[in-house]
Amino acid sequence: ENREAMLNSRSNRLTEALEEANALFDGVCRAREAALDAQFLVLASNIGKEKANELHSDMSAFDSTAFAEDLLTFMGINRTEETDDSEDGPGGFLPTDAWKRMGEEALKYFKRAPDVHYMLGSFKSEPPVPKQRIERQKKASRGKAEQAMPAQLKKMEESHQEATEKEVERILRILQTHFENDPNTPISYFDFVIDPNSFARTVENMFHVSFLIRDGLARIKLDEVELPVIEPTKPNGGAEEENRAGARNQVIIRLDQREWQ
Amino acid sequence: QVSELVQFLLVKDQKKIPIKRADMLKNVIREYRDAYSKILNRTGKTLQEVFGMQLVEIDSKRHMYILINNLPRAGGKYLCRDKEKEKMGLLLVILSFIFMKGSSVKDSALWEFLHLLRVYPGRQHEVFGDVRKLVTEEFARQKYLEITPIPLTDPPELKFQWGPRAEKEISKKDVLNAVAKIQGKDPTFWASQYSEAEATT
Repeated sequence: ENREAMLNSRSNRLTEALEEANALFDGVCRAREAALDAQFLVLASNIGKEKANELHSDMSAFDSTAFAEDLLTFMGINRTEETDDSEDGPGGFLPTDAWKRMGEEALKYFKRAPDVHYMLGSFKSEPPVPKQRIERQKKASRGKAEQAMPAQLKKMEESHQEATEKEVERILRILQTHFENDPNTPISYFDFVIDPNSFARTVENMFHVSFLIRDGLARIKLDEVELPVIEPTKPNGGAEEENRAGARNQVIIRLDQREWQ
Repeated sequence: QVSELVQFLLVKDQKKIPIKRADMLKNVIREYRDAYSKILNRTGKTLQEVFGMQLVEIDSKRHMYILINNLPRAGGKYLCRDKEKEKMGLLLVILSFIFMKGSSVKDSALWEFLHLLRVYPGRQHEVFGDVRKLVTEEFARQKYLEITPIPLTDPPELKFQWGPRAEKEISKKDVLNAVAKIQGKDPTFWASQYSEAEATT
């Protein structure tokens, strides 16, 4: 208590307290009282140190209120004449770039090492999963967990080709799973391959789908409005399907970035 | 090893948190421990000659290092994200306040001063968000500020001083000049701060 009063450089309270303690100590005859006295001494010396500190800084008086006002001016405050009850506080409106302005000045003085970031981003060990549609995304991850591989999948030596095979297989699964739920509705081809966020992904999807078609695992036909739709072929298709696959059609699909948008 | 360490330090420095020697040994140097000081020396040279940065030890007991920019200051605009600019602005204001007040202030005094600039510890600031966290945690962890509790205070009070990174990245003279510029006065107006600033150049 009375800390602030004692700190006041103009008061002698600290000295008085010390003298009082001194006098009291003569009457001390119990250990506990001596301990209390010691505690008091520690407190007193701390206060003494603080007082000494304040002495030092008072030498060249620094008016922090004036400094604050000047800072606000520097940051571009718009001082208003009338008293406004807005949240911006009394005396003015601080623009949104106020602290940016301050920062630009500050940067001139700091020897701050600039941040270093790799231009190409950090290493990712697995190719990121393409986002086709959110529902399909969930089905895709479910599909991946299944270990059952279709008989048509051939094992490749190079990992590069493996990745493509994986993708193709994944896309087949998505197509099949969609079909499980909706057996008689082929999906619009464009809906299936187009990734609204990435042109590159779209091209990749088309590439993978072309594998499925080539291998006869899926087929594309034109619907009533002449738009292409895609559906998986039934696994126990039999001779009829094989004949179909025999009639190879070459389709060139041209899609450039503008069209994609 | 040297180039690996250089890359390691550059990436680690992004958050501006001092880098520990232990981390360097564990992640980069590993089995070459004996050559540690040689590797560190060459790394320092590379950083200086290629990137213009200086590797500085700020704590010789706990072996912590920071990177600072050693290039002469260019006059032009600085390429820097706005968020970073704003934080540096606030930091300069705080460091100036501390220096002009005799190199050490109590937390209550600092927050009272920041009030005048519409910055409140208890309120979300539209630019800085949680200001208290920024000042007492981020700036302290980056070693721009040194925050120590004042003993035997109840409720506990804190003391704010310049941290070792601030000492290395900015000079008292520059701070005094900044204050003088903002207040439109000559730096010699504040005699004792001026002599302190001259002394530590």
